[in-house]
Amino acid sequence: MTDSAELAHTIEALLFLSPDPLSPRELGDAAQASEEEAAAALAQLLEEYAPGSRGLRLRELAGGYTFATDPASEDAARRLFSRPRAFTLTPAQAETLAIVAYLQPISRPEITRIRGVSADSASTLLLERGLIEEAGRSQFGAVLYRTGNLFLKLFGLRSLDDLPDVAQWDPTPEEQAELRERLLRAGEARARGGPVDEQA
Amino acid sequence: MSIASLDLDLDVFTGPFDLLLTLVLREEIDLFELQLADVVLAYLDHLESCGQLDLESATEFIVLIAALLELKSRLLLCGDDEELLDIEPDEAAEELLARMLDARRYRAAATHLRELFDAEEGVRFRSAPLAAHLRRTTAEPTDGSQDPAVLGESIGRLLHMPAVISLRHILVPRVSVAERLTHLRGLLHRGRFTFDEAVTGADRMTVAVTVFALLELYRRGEARWDQAENFGDISVHAVSEPLRVAG
Repeated sequence: MTDSAELAHTIEALLFLSPDPLSPRELGDAAQASEEEAAAALAQLLEEYAPGSRGLRLRELAGGYTFATDPASEDAARRLFSRPRAFTLTPAQAETLAIVAYLQPISRPEITRIRGVSADSASTLLLERGLIEEAGRSQFGAVLYRTGNLFLKLFGLRSLDDLPDVAQWDPTPEEQAELRERLLRAGEARARGGPVDEQA
Repeated sequence: MSIASLDLDLDVFTGPFDLLLTLVLREEIDLFELQLADVVLAYLDHLESCGQLDLESATEFIVLIAALLELKSRLLLCGDDEELLDIEPDEAAEELLARMLDARRYRAAATHLRELFDAEEGVRFRSAPLAAHLRRTTAEPTDGSQDPAVLGESIGRLLHMPAVISLRHILVPRVSVAERLTHLRGLLHRGRFTFDEAVTGADRMTVAVTVFALLELYRRGEARWDQAENFGDISVHAVSEPLRVAG
């Protein structure tokens, strides 16, 4: 057996043992190989575990590599463990999570300000599920939140850089202009103390 | 007597109340230096000396003192927020627009996250922790790394009772309406009683709070009272009990 094949076997074993994603550096350190050698062995394993070839897949997630099941086995896994997916996301939780993911570290009052409605119960649930975690305090003493590795793992992301640019969902200039126009009309009507005049 | 002529003798001002108001409004007296509590105390003294409560003038006084309090609290806080309150409609609209755009942006981002989340459905990870003998570090400390004497001393300090702090110099009596309510309900339970019985040996504060408790009982429809003459005994009875003439 060649050295590189042996290293790939060792790394495969380490990946099997670890519940958390492992980086090429961690794997190399443990297997007494360089980071580059570990990366090469991982590339070989990625090929062997390419989707469709095995029941397991090797995924790059949350800053490292980890084994995950092929979704094709999900039905069987549910019958065996009789436990479906851990949880679902409500729209409020998804919105809160999106704000934390893009603007972290961020406090609850800031999340509330952006959403326009309270984010307390949503952020408490996200905290309980480990999707967000505390990250110190703001200058005003409010607890700050950030996303953790579990978030990256469950959403199939290698790092936060995998998130698309949030500006892509901005409304078009025309939509913005229309929105501004409507707001101004409403504001003026309110300043005059009368109802909104649709003719104006 | 009108409230305007209420005579005040304060640290920073001596004279009638309406003059004080004028001077404050002209900023000839600094609100910072004016102890509003002293004004209230002077008014209470005045009420006491009158021996009767004129609702009209009391209302006037409360309105004026509340206005002064508001002025003073605004002065004590920094005045930045006044600018915030006074923005033009188009500025307000811009601000609102920016917020709405923000909210919209992250709602769309949330939709994207849900798509990612749904795409990962059916993917499971190994969730078992490593067996204890495979972990690199264990929680057990090395034998002998902790000195039993240090532990003993720490616990010893906890067992030492600190000296009781004297609260004798604090004069504020703590009487709650809830306490007095319980007291009155207890008396009601035995039948009718007079107000004097309810406050035998009590201090002024307790008497005042008891009046509030009695009003509360009346409001809840649990008790009624009657008083044959001014300053006479107030006889309190439960509502269910048929009304009898006192005495």
